[in-house]
Amino acid sequence: GDSWGIFTFLCAALCNLPALPALNCSEELGAGQSIQQTYDLTRYLEHQLRTLAGTYLNYLGPPFNEPDFNPPRLARAERVPSATVDLDLWRGLTDNARLAANYRAYSRLLCYLRVLDGQVGTAELRHRLAHFCASLQGLVLSIGGVMSSLGYPLPVGPAGPPAPPGAPAAPNDFLKKMDDFWLLKELQTWLWRSAKDFNRLKKKVPPAVVTLRLEARGF
Amino acid sequence: SPPPPPSLSPDPAVISPQDPTLVIGSSLVATCTVSPDFPLKAEDLYWTLNGRRLPATSYATLGPSTLSVALAHLNGSRQQSGDNLVCHSRDGGILAGSCLYVGLPPEKPVNITCWSKNMKDLTCKWAPGTEGETFLHTNYTLKYKLRWYGRDNTCQEYHTAGPYSCHIPKDLALFTPYEIWVEASNRLGVAVSDVVMLDILDVVTTDPPSDVHVSRVGDLEDQLSVRWSSPTALKDFFFQAKYQIQYRVEDSSEWKVVDDVGNQTSCRLAGLRPGTVYFVQVRCNPFSIYGSKKAGIWSDWSNPTAASTPRSERSAGGCDPKGGEQNTTLRRELKQFFGWVKKHAYGCSNLGIKLYDQWRVWLQKSHKTRNQ
Repeated sequence: GDSWGIFTFLCAALCNLPALPALNCSEELGAGQSIQQTYDLTRYLEHQLRTLAGTYLNYLGPPFNEPDFNPPRLARAERVPSATVDLDLWRGLTDNARLAANYRAYSRLLCYLRVLDGQVGTAELRHRLAHFCASLQGLVLSIGGVMSSLGYPLPVGPAGPPAPPGAPAAPNDFLKKMDDFWLLKELQTWLWRSAKDFNRLKKKVPPAVVTLRLEARGF
Repeated sequence: SPPPPPSLSPDPAVISPQDPTLVIGSSLVATCTVSPDFPLKAEDLYWTLNGRRLPATSYATLGPSTLSVALAHLNGSRQQSGDNLVCHSRDGGILAGSCLYVGLPPEKPVNITCWSKNMKDLTCKWAPGTEGETFLHTNYTLKYKLRWYGRDNTCQEYHTAGPYSCHIPKDLALFTPYEIWVEASNRLGVAVSDVVMLDILDVVTTDPPSDVHVSRVGDLEDQLSVRWSSPTALKDFFFQAKYQIQYRVEDSSEWKVVDDVGNQTSCRLAGLRPGTVYFVQVRCNPFSIYGSKKAGIWSDWSNPTAASTPRSERSAGGCDPKGGEQNTTLRRELKQFFGWVKKHAYGCSNLGIKLYDQWRVWLQKSHKTRNQ
């Protein structure tokens, strides 16, 4: 459970260290492992989000915690970056674009989550949120690490102020609840999508360790 | 599920009142007015509260695109984030919502207790008022001031010792009493606890004793010796420590407490079971710090230290007396005595537990002959 997750998180953070120098394809070796670990981290976060979202939606109360709840996505909610994308568009993304989209989305989502952290009522929720934010920060770092090891520049993201630019506060408490609902929904969708993104990247940048072993056996 | 209505910049409808705060038992009439850009009329609307549809009998049409609902005798809010009162269009889509905060004003917090660790800080706990009001989120603020100096201070670090606690880490004065109180506030009002007056020196606690060692006492099967060091943080301050020891058998959860350990740093536990593992803990009370006659506050228990009593020896050979005699306390004590005699009184080497056993056998035989 938790200890496995913390382990993968630490591994992901440590992956930002320079890769082993002795190998020929040293950068790809580092990237391959980083991609796997980033993938593992998204799965761990997905698991953590399920508990967090359950608790948070219960705090918002019905109808927000009803399984078939489908509120209107008002224009104001568009500020949360959407994971939904055309299938062909998604397939056609370059590695750089794919990674950058993930990096930007999670940086943004992290900002919004941190604002939430300052406002929620119960101590239990604050604690869970803080834990989730820390893990999400780890994911952002991990994605950044993958990009660096593949030689891509990091996207110029939001500076990280509590209120991202162009984001008016919700005018009333009910609309704020809707914003919170959509934030959690979007996080969930992004984590589903990221698992597929990193799976795809894994295939294109396999861990070099495997190829080395095959060479040693004379294949 | 029904398709959501199109999302346009102006909100589809407006509810009034928006996010009101109400006392339990009060009534409310809320109105939903559809925005002119929307082709909806009052008869196309309905209300839900926390996901449950409200009966049409409580509705009233106030205008072509305004529908009201009457809510009577409101119960306390189902969740602290507010009850969700929602105005829907006929197909189920959400047009607008309002969060209702229904509860009671807070009660005075009670039972404020504080303690100071090594006179360096102050931690206080309290309990919410009797209702333990939970419908509305209640904010607690601990305030304190020195008795004869006017300025109020506010404690900043909360939840350090449970949900109703606060920690003041520094800048505490000695020799002048503090006035301490807790303010509880929620959307409906504020309640202030009674003021507690205390002197830091009267509520001092310290670290648990360090270097707790538990060891056997020679071969004695029923004793263990406990030794510890007095906590160092208060060593420069004149105080007498009182200590307490608690111990338990490894697989039991019942602790035995030794209460009257004075100012010493060692103690012997007796009457223990042989061949048993014991867990031992010690704690300290900085009694009479700076000569104050009041007891301080007991420290936490030290981490448990384990030790085992020696196993009781079995008698050698096969001429053991019958029955349960082997395990009597008397026999055990005699054995210890003979052991001591062997060590300290040369020339009495014939005295031994075997001799005692032979005497018992002889005793039983003589009883039999006497009774025959």
